[in-house]
Amino acid sequence: MNALLLSALMGVVMMFSGIVLKSKAAIRNIAIAGMLALLLVNILEMNGTVFLVIDSKGMIGFDRFALLFNSIIFFSTFLYLTLSARDMEKVGVNYAEYLALIFFILCGIALVSSFRSLIILFLGIEIISIPLYILTGSDKLNLKSNEASLKYFLLGSFSTGLMLMGIALIYGAKGTFYTSGINMVNGAISPLLIAGMLLLMFSMAFKVSVAPFHFWTPDVYDGAPTVFTSFMATIVKAGVFIAFIRLFDEGFASQQPKWKLIIAILTAATLLIGNITAVFQQSVKRMLAYSSIAQAGFMLLSVYAMSPDSKEGLILYAAAYCMATIGIFAVLIKMSDYTFDGFNGFAKQQPLLAAVTTIFLLSLAGIPLTAGFMAKFYMIKAAMYNSGLLWLPILALVMAAVSVSYYFRVIQAMYFRESSTPSTLTVTPAFRYTLVALAALVVLLGIFPNLLLAWLYF
Amino acid sequence: MENVLQIVWLIPFLPLLGFLVNGLGRKYMPKAMVSIVGCGVILASFLMSIWVFIHVREGGGYVADYFNFIVVDKLKIPFALQVDELSSLFLMIITGVGFLIHVYSTAYMHEEKPEHFGRYFAYLNLFVFSMLLLVMGANYVIMFIGWEGVGLCSYLLIGYWFKNVAFNKAANKAFVMNRIGDLAFLIAIFWIIAKVGNANYADVIAFAKAGKFGASDITVITLLLFVGATGKSAQIPLYTWLPDAMAGPTPVSALIHAATMVTAGIYMIARSNALYSLSDLTMHVVTYVGLATAILAATIAVQQNDIKKVLAYSTVSQLGYMFMALGLGAYSAAVFHVMTHAFFKALLFLGSGSVIHAMSGEQDIRNMGGLGKKLKITSFTFLMGCIAIAGIPPFSGFFSKDAILLSAFEENKALYAVALLGALLTAFYMFRLFFITFTGKFRGTEDQAHHVHESPLSMTLPLIILAVLALAGGWVGIPEVFMKGGDKLSAFLSPVIPVKEGESPGHSTELALMAISTIAVLAVIAFSWFRFRGYQRKGEAQGLAKVLENKWYVDELYEKIIVKPLQQFGSFLNDVFERSVVDGLVNGVGRAVSYSSRQLRLLQSGQVGSYVLLMVLSMLLIFVLQFFLRK
Repeated sequence: MNALLLSALMGVVMMFSGIVLKSKAAIRNIAIAGMLALLLVNILEMNGTVFLVIDSKGMIGFDRFALLFNSIIFFSTFLYLTLSARDMEKVGVNYAEYLALIFFILCGIALVSSFRSLIILFLGIEIISIPLYILTGSDKLNLKSNEASLKYFLLGSFSTGLMLMGIALIYGAKGTFYTSGINMVNGAISPLLIAGMLLLMFSMAFKVSVAPFHFWTPDVYDGAPTVFTSFMATIVKAGVFIAFIRLFDEGFASQQPKWKLIIAILTAATLLIGNITAVFQQSVKRMLAYSSIAQAGFMLLSVYAMSPDSKEGLILYAAAYCMATIGIFAVLIKMSDYTFDGFNGFAKQQPLLAAVTTIFLLSLAGIPLTAGFMAKFYMIKAAMYNSGLLWLPILALVMAAVSVSYYFRVIQAMYFRESSTPSTLTVTPAFRYTLVALAALVVLLGIFPNLLLAWLYF
Repeated sequence: MENVLQIVWLIPFLPLLGFLVNGLGRKYMPKAMVSIVGCGVILASFLMSIWVFIHVREGGGYVADYFNFIVVDKLKIPFALQVDELSSLFLMIITGVGFLIHVYSTAYMHEEKPEHFGRYFAYLNLFVFSMLLLVMGANYVIMFIGWEGVGLCSYLLIGYWFKNVAFNKAANKAFVMNRIGDLAFLIAIFWIIAKVGNANYADVIAFAKAGKFGASDITVITLLLFVGATGKSAQIPLYTWLPDAMAGPTPVSALIHAATMVTAGIYMIARSNALYSLSDLTMHVVTYVGLATAILAATIAVQQNDIKKVLAYSTVSQLGYMFMALGLGAYSAAVFHVMTHAFFKALLFLGSGSVIHAMSGEQDIRNMGGLGKKLKITSFTFLMGCIAIAGIPPFSGFFSKDAILLSAFEENKALYAVALLGALLTAFYMFRLFFITFTGKFRGTEDQAHHVHESPLSMTLPLIILAVLALAGGWVGIPEVFMKGGDKLSAFLSPVIPVKEGESPGHSTELALMAISTIAVLAVIAFSWFRFRGYQRKGEAQGLAKVLENKWYVDELYEKIIVKPLQQFGSFLNDVFERSVVDGLVNGVGRAVSYSSRQLRLLQSGQVGSYVLLMVLSMLLIFVLQFFLRK
């Protein structure tokens, strides 16, 4: 509750700060300070301190899982702002507004992570989506950015329609918006309920870019200003995933036999399409877009397995994936050439940045001693123990192996190719230190995953 | 009450600390400092070992469990150290002899640069740490860690003078041969874990005693463990690395390749005696491999001219005796021989080091002679070592060798006869070595003659101490014939190694056997005195002597039947199998992925309309699947 209110408040504050303050550095500092405060009040709530209690009639409920997830989201956003907030200046003039939109999105994530009613879910998803349409099109003079924004808006509206239709059908079947009520089994299962459930599943799948609802992702991620792609691909995606798992855990647990196989099929399709298409990309940015689809496939395993193990796995996966991807994007934003060739000889020009980028890539590929390995391990373990389908975890493993090929292409370019042009890249010391700290964190979580997971219980 | 033995972790930890200090500070610390740290930590461990030994004697063994090293599902491998009768005895040998050799090294390695001097002591400390871990571990996994550690240190120290290509090759050979044995050991550990559920000695022994192992399981496990032991302890067929390992500095040969590391295999089998006693087949294999090694190595030693090579083959031969004892079920006799052998073989190696030092690096005994006059302490202590290894009462070697011969006699008279022959060969080649080296006329160059000098005190003092031990070290195991309750060692070890049941051949037979062996040995010594006192260099050896000098051509044989075919097989795999099959498969998968990648890419047309169409079609498919295809 603390974070929900403060993030909305911070959004408003940021909007007005653009009018009052002229210095972009000041605006940025307010945003980063606000982000820290957000993280702080959220952690305080985990320890039991709630500043303002609002009676939501049980439509919102912050439990430990939601709070820990929010902490990860806020921490990742904090890192994202420290690394990349400076780069937003290049996108356009409305600097303060971009930051305001980011806070509104966080408000939406706080809502979807804690919903108990489908109304709140819908509200949260829309609060997340609309600022994203704007951010995608924020590079107003760039045609690609405009096109991406429009595409995203059209397809997003389509998915919003699906969601509304789904909610309506479920209300028709059950007469309630509350997830606990929907989950209750009384009498025969109405086809209305199943149809509504599937429609909700499709719209959620769209938001987290699960195949075959992923088509918007490469185009939008590629067209949007890179600094916002980073935000969309990591924090927003992870944030919607918690809504996904919560919806199926609390709303449709009793219908498990009806959706388990379909989720399995979607997972397999996502893993296949994401990984295989990523192999052939020529631009690192587009490769990362497909990689984010592939990683969504892994995260979907947690919905599929649906056990305490898989929730732990999702927490870890969200943290590992966000940290590594934010790190890579932070470096990518600084590059002038987004193709693989743009990374040629990077290790010689920027040994430190190349080294940390390598750590992030290893984590994404799931190589041991990185957080990504532990996250994949937990996911696949959960999927093995809680299902009858053995082919799915095996497919996931094979696809993890395929993913090595495209992640390592970047490492190969950095370390084993010669650069044709001298580097023009300049970074501040603070940027370096933050990246190194981030890489250290990735390795630390790869060795002691319980540092994070213990928070779930104590 | 917390057991005071809880702090035994300090014993291996101190040498580890020494390794870190010497290893990290080797560029900054003067030699004196390195020496003090290197020797000091071992001395501290030695004192603690004595303390532990006394505690164990009074209060029995203890397992100190520190933390869980590996936890996977139900399998728990604790990091636990065990001090009991067997391990505390080995602790004393390792740290005691180890300390003397460290002190000796400070003088022997004096001419090295400070940096390499530090590196040497760091390796040596690391070796002691690994060896202590090996004998102190309370389960096979910890033992294996130590096992690998000593193998690594052995490799590093054989190749200590890494600029010499031949030395590096010797180090590689030792490493590879050890790896073959290690693999078998590792498989045995997995096998044990699969059957028992963990690798703790206590549980494994209880499991074995309860008769829960299948007959074939126990045979395979013990045979695999034995293969592991043949690698580390240089038995047929994996023995050829040990003579080559003499490339390392001489104190290293004394510590690692005579007194401690090579006895790890004997320790392992003695530790697993409850398993071995269950498999007659394995016991026979161990006995005959041990005997064959003992005889083969002894015959080779007869014709070697490198002072260290003679000792190396002698070590292989003595290790063969120990394995024979193990195979006969005389575990405590084997451990007894490990102990006495550690004393006299360390003494002989250090003595040879002193000779080499005096001769400015010369190792060929044909170029020595008459050194007894100039190297008084060295020659006298070397003689003590020779008498001990030859087995003349009351020297230590007599008692331990006698215990082994006696158990051979009980098993089989022919076995005894062959073993006795080996013992006579031992006496022969040792005194050949002694007479050629220390008596007669000097055969080296003028320069060498001028340079020959006795070694400094830090080298001769360890020699003197070891000589005393070589004389008196066997008195802890005096047979019943001479003294009631004289065999203190077997009694001490009895909680770990049950005393062998069975009728003894009777005191008169025992005395007769001792008399026979002693008289025969004396006769052989006399023979070699007449043969070698006025040794003159001869031409090329002929016939059998040539075969022996060339070590039965075993290295060449291995080269022909193992290395060459393996290389051919390897090039076949490389040229044919890998090119066409593996590459084809791997590239095929790669090509399939990149092909489908290109095709899938076409779906991404950029047209919103086609995206919506694809999405709606998939949704319809799922609805059909949900409502019509599933019941």
